[in-house]
Amino acid sequence: MNEQDPSFWKRVKQTRLSRRGLIHGVAGTVAGVSFLTPKLVLADEGEDSENASCAIASPIPGGVTPFKPFGVVVHHNPLNPANPLAKLNDPSQITDFDGFVGLTHIRGGGTGTNTNTGATTPLAFQADMGFSQGKFVGIDGRQHNRTFAFV
Amino acid sequence: MILVNHDAVEVNFDAGRASLRVNNLNVFDDHDIANSLTLGLGLPGDPDYPFPAIAPVAPVRATVSFDVEWNGIHDMAQLNNTAQNFKGTFLSTGATIKWSAEQSGFRFESESPDPSRNLISVLGREQNGVFFT
Repeated sequence: MNEQDPSFWKRVKQTRLSRRGLIHGVAGTVAGVSFLTPKLVLADEGEDSENASCAIASPIPGGVTPFKPFGVVVHHNPLNPANPLAKLNDPSQITDFDGFVGLTHIRGGGTGTNTNTGATTPLAFQADMGFSQGKFVGIDGRQHNRTFAFV
Repeated sequence: MILVNHDAVEVNFDAGRASLRVNNLNVFDDHDIANSLTLGLGLPGDPDYPFPAIAPVAPVRATVSFDVEWNGIHDMAQLNNTAQNFKGTFLSTGATIKWSAEQSGFRFESESPDPSRNLISVLGREQNGVFFT
């Protein structure tokens, strides 16, 4: 939970693009259906878009590497239903932060549709999502007030 | 983390309620969690490795919309974690999600929001890093 990968975050900052498995699909009954695992895109949209390039926050020091030694470090502490709230790890993904955070871990189902044929398939999903809203000291050393989705 | 409009998130912390609503967000479908976290390299599936081999898959463009709702306080805790440098008030809450996604040739629509699907959800008002003093 204390691993760090500065090169990963540096790359995120440089490209303003990162990948994470934030929603990941699990097979339903039919193989071959693509599941959605969106990578994160730091949007240039929103009321603060003119300063988006300098609004990138620093990640929390800890995180997880689910496929260690392969894959990137994810600066995120997944919620664990087995842990009492009093044992909560920092639910924020960014550090130097003062504000509201939300995290959720939900499983569910839905319907996948082949939009070419109309064929439908029941699918299952698992979502590990959240938000951060508040002030933070960005990588530029300045204080910002932003809202982030953790997808 | 994705920078979103401020009004994409609404929080009524004292009531244990919050929402995250985003429409038509441009993302990449990495096909599976392994390819997402290995930047499309998949997993080798070595005999001593705990995960099966997963072939590399190139991502495709997709859009996703979601509405996540936190509602209902189950538990509350005041934390001051000096090991991780964060403190604050945290709520264990109920939550639901409704989401959809679309890419060329495929669309997914989740079931109606169902509180029973929540495994664990948390709201917090916290300070960490330089604000942890």
